[in-house]
Amino acid sequence: MDYHRTSLDEALPEGQSLREGSAVAGLPGTRRAAQPPAAMDAESFSSASERILTAINTVIDGKAEAAKLALTVLLAQGHLLLEDVPGVGKTLLAKTLARTIDCSVSRIQFTPDLLPSDVTGVSIYNQASRSFEFRPGAVFANIVIGDEINRASAKTQSALLECMEEHQVTVDGKSYKLDEPFMVVATQNPIEMEGTYPLPEAQRDRFMARISMGYPDKDAEMEMLETHQATSPLTKVTAVVTAGEVASMIATVRQVYVSQSIKEYTVSLGRATRESGMLRLGASPRSMLQLLRAAKATAALEGRDYVLPDDVVSVAEAVLAHRIILDRKAASTGETAQSVIRAVLAKIPVSPDMAAAPATSAGHAAGGGVSTRAATLPDRR
Amino acid sequence: MTLTPQRSAGPHSAQSGTSPGGSPVPPQGSFPGARKAPTKVGAQPWLMALAVALAVAGAALSLNGVLRGWAWYSPVLSTVLTVALTMAGLRALRWRSAFVTAGALAALVLILTFTFFRASSILGFLPSGDTLTQLDRYVLRASETVLAESAPVAPNAGIVLLVCAALGLLVILVDALAFPLALPATSGLGILAILIVPAMIKPQSVGAAGFVAATAGYLLILGCSHWFAPDPRTGADTARNPGQFRRGALTGAVALTLTLLVQLVIPGFDQGTFPQGSRLNPFGTASGLNPMISLGNSLRAPTGDGRITFATNAPSTPYLRSVTVDSFNGDNWAPDDRNDTRRLGTGRMDSGYESAATEVRVVTAVNTGQFTSPYLPVPYAPEAVNGLNGRWSWDPATLSIKGVDTNSRDQQYVVLSASPQLTPELLAGATGPVQGVPEQFIRTPANVPEIVQRTAEAVTAGSSTPYARALAIQRYLRSVEFSYSLQSPVQGGYDGNGLSVLADFLNQKSGYCIHFASAMAVMARLEGIPSRIAVGYAPGRATGATVSIGGQGALPEYEVDARDAHAWPELYFQGLGWVPFEPTPSRGVVPSYATDAQVAGGASTNENNDGLLPSVSPNPAPLPTAAPLPLPGADATADAASRWLPVLYSAGGLLLLGLLLASPQLARTALRRRRLNGARGDSAAALQAWAELRDLAMDYGVAPRTSETPRHFSDRLRLSGALGEPHGIDAAGHQAVRALTADFEQRQYGRPSSGGDGAGVPGSADRAAGSAAAAGSAGSPAAHRIEAVRSTLRAHAGPLVRFRAAWLPPSIMAAWRRAAAAPFRAARRAAQRTRRGLAGTWLMTRGAAHRVRRGSWLRRG
Repeated sequence: MDYHRTSLDEALPEGQSLREGSAVAGLPGTRRAAQPPAAMDAESFSSASERILTAINTVIDGKAEAAKLALTVLLAQGHLLLEDVPGVGKTLLAKTLARTIDCSVSRIQFTPDLLPSDVTGVSIYNQASRSFEFRPGAVFANIVIGDEINRASAKTQSALLECMEEHQVTVDGKSYKLDEPFMVVATQNPIEMEGTYPLPEAQRDRFMARISMGYPDKDAEMEMLETHQATSPLTKVTAVVTAGEVASMIATVRQVYVSQSIKEYTVSLGRATRESGMLRLGASPRSMLQLLRAAKATAALEGRDYVLPDDVVSVAEAVLAHRIILDRKAASTGETAQSVIRAVLAKIPVSPDMAAAPATSAGHAAGGGVSTRAATLPDRR
Repeated sequence: MTLTPQRSAGPHSAQSGTSPGGSPVPPQGSFPGARKAPTKVGAQPWLMALAVALAVAGAALSLNGVLRGWAWYSPVLSTVLTVALTMAGLRALRWRSAFVTAGALAALVLILTFTFFRASSILGFLPSGDTLTQLDRYVLRASETVLAESAPVAPNAGIVLLVCAALGLLVILVDALAFPLALPATSGLGILAILIVPAMIKPQSVGAAGFVAATAGYLLILGCSHWFAPDPRTGADTARNPGQFRRGALTGAVALTLTLLVQLVIPGFDQGTFPQGSRLNPFGTASGLNPMISLGNSLRAPTGDGRITFATNAPSTPYLRSVTVDSFNGDNWAPDDRNDTRRLGTGRMDSGYESAATEVRVVTAVNTGQFTSPYLPVPYAPEAVNGLNGRWSWDPATLSIKGVDTNSRDQQYVVLSASPQLTPELLAGATGPVQGVPEQFIRTPANVPEIVQRTAEAVTAGSSTPYARALAIQRYLRSVEFSYSLQSPVQGGYDGNGLSVLADFLNQKSGYCIHFASAMAVMARLEGIPSRIAVGYAPGRATGATVSIGGQGALPEYEVDARDAHAWPELYFQGLGWVPFEPTPSRGVVPSYATDAQVAGGASTNENNDGLLPSVSPNPAPLPTAAPLPLPGADATADAASRWLPVLYSAGGLLLLGLLLASPQLARTALRRRRLNGARGDSAAALQAWAELRDLAMDYGVAPRTSETPRHFSDRLRLSGALGEPHGIDAAGHQAVRALTADFEQRQYGRPSSGGDGAGVPGSADRAAGSAAAAGSAGSPAAHRIEAVRSTLRAHAGPLVRFRAAWLPPSIMAAWRRAAAAPFRAARRAAQRTRRGLAGTWLMTRGAAHRVRRGSWLRRG
């Protein structure tokens, strides 16, 4: 009961299992060098993303936003933290996402006695071959679902987190590369905190985005009762894309163009959180990188090959809110991380950078000039 | 994709439908704005000019009856047509609105000069200095006509000039409202302004012809603006709005019914005042305000209003005097009320001088009836007035009696007056230097026209005593050279008073009492005799009735009315006081002391004194009767210049003010033009167009925020309602905003090597629109899009917002505010730097001082 290397049969479509050989065979460098995933063209990208989202939405009613964000995180090579009360479909979302992709999936139900080796794998002495053999842990999969991650001990959590950051597992001084795509979808219950080990800030920072599922609206709930009574909706889901396609999609996302002004906007956003009087801890530079990656993925999902400020704005809350720590005073006045992020977004100029345009008039240049000036935040020294 | 209403009629739509190269137009190209940026103006300006001219000239038809006859109509017509056609021509040449208006003003000036000042202008139409002088006189005449005469007035040059100028300006106004300001419905106000004049003045109100013509013109204006620049909100000529005609007819029917019914319900609407039979005088009842002005009207009045009856025991019927005029400066002589020196109470009055003549006490009982004036008509010189209602005051200098808080209406009072028995001998003996007369009766007016001066000198030559000089002047004025006429001053354009009128009068030698009295008064002053003009009533007619006054028995009753209104000069003789004279031929009674010695029969009455004067051999003074008016004289020009300088300055000031008021609009337009034209074809066009879109939205109340992404702003703009519904007839505006946004995003955030689809993710609608727009940007679709957005915004904005967007565009105002605040910001920054620098220096100095002190201390230690 304590630890499930979960019934993968349930979690995976038939014909798929943890292909130990292939996963482990992916030893440092070999696999990636072999076939660098090529970028997709736009039509196949959008059709692939469309298929995935449609598949998810047939299972989970009224959660299109969450589904899209999950896909965004997948394409941005990040990890997703699903935080909400029990029973709103966190695990279902994670499983559905995993199932729509023809890739390996593993599920770890975190418990206090779960050991790091259960996650990463362990070297076992093989009597027959008289040598230590590495038995990969649950993390060796394309999509790893970590249920109730805050129930595991800090040691186990950090073992997972290392894998998340490095995309590799180090056991007994040996490093094993993980398969691409690799994504951890962790769920967390914010209500029942007794006997849990809340993720420290440093570890929350590893997750690209945190989303709350939220309750479905009335119609969606009715629909859910209607359709999901008899059968588990998950059974209907089949893989709509292959892992290779996902890797190509990720490559496509990587090629999305980020203009200078978007970078400036992102940087000013991060600086603003660090300089905000309401925050004890602002957004880290890593979070800026992840924000930009998420924005790129959003842009690609929107069908663009360049990032708009809107893309940054649309993911900023999900990407930044779980990394910042509120000032005690701000917290006591009812501010939340989300509200602070929103306030910062409402304050930072998007910097249309009109001054760069030639043949501008006086008034015009003045307007642009002001916004550029305002873009450099006031020095608080 | 083409949501543009396809209009059946129109070379315009056909022209904008295909691009010059004949290539199929991209969907983004077919905005209504494309249609509005015409490559050819076509018939619109001409038809519009015709409509405006028809409306204004038609409304002017109703002025017949305000102005007598029809002679004035041809200059009016030529003015209106010239101005309207000038505007049409300039517009056909595609001049900008401001220049069209300026050109029309210039055309107005030229045609007015050509019509009225041809003689004094350069080449017949360019105004010169003399034109200004003449204009001054015409304006003066016109103002006097307006003030003094009642409709219908004779169309003298002044009033016709004024009418022509006003109508010309109205043409410009109506056109400006209908065309550049795109408020055609409001242009009815200008036409209404014309119709109000006859409605208020003429007994028969506007009249059918004027009303019909004005209405037709107005409808044509509305039609023109609709045919050529349809309001996108009313798709009148699309199939979408089939019920429009029915609705219009219904609205019209309801309005007509209400008009016919409501006026029956309002009491008094159909009788008496407005609009039927109203003769409202916006300047108040003229009977008392300025008797000089109302006098001519009173005399010309066909019926005698303001009948006054009085009974007196005087041996001869007295003149009733209301008020005196003693200041002969300025253009309009008026009684100087001297309210601060007036004394309350009429129980005891004192002329302030002793007359050497024996005085006869005269008792006069006056009943003013309906006569309404602040001044009380009394025989000269009143000593006490009893029986008055209300509070009255009297002026010690002139003995005029004025109501403090009342007027002369329905007053019955008894006047006790002292009438000195003057004889020619007494007067001839009064040669002493004048003493004790207030200076205002002696002061020679400034700028006395030369002809007055010359005439006075010539007439009085050889007369030694003041009395002789006075007699000479009177004799001259009563000579056969002069004729009494109420009409000739009106026709000659010198009906009124003032020194220039006097000059005209002495030239024309025809006028009525005002002219004679003022001529004598002014000439007397020139000759050193203190003088003033008394205004009141000539001796009237006996009614045949008698009135008994206590202690006096039955006295004969007389009556006077408006037709007896009169003015006469009073001259001061040392030791005798103020002595009335009668220079007006055929009016009043020449006092016995003022008749020439050789003339027998002192009194002359209205009936018989026509034959009185011919026997008088007028002093054959060598009068330059054909003396030209001092118009072309250099001094007169200088005079005109000095008089017109303030006018020119204030006109310049007004122009500057207008420019100032219009400057936000001009700046805004220039900025838009620069943005849309400057970067044509350039990739920066998208940025410029975006900046323009932001400003445009700001002008119409959807201000962009700095923290807002372009797309968010664009969505907000489209959802704000400022652009109307995203579908239907406003789709073009929405589509334009979307395309502009896509362009801008592509340019601002897309790959620098724009258009490379290789690694891109095309396929979405945005992207497609963006790239298509980028491809077509050579034809400057940005300008068309901006125009589409602008017209949609305008169509959905309220009049106030539209006004603000046009005249005080918030985007420009904000930019100016920032620019104005920039020096202050810089100063603040400089102050901060200085403060910091000073603090640093101070710290360094202090540190150095510390070190030095410590060092020295250490060395000492």
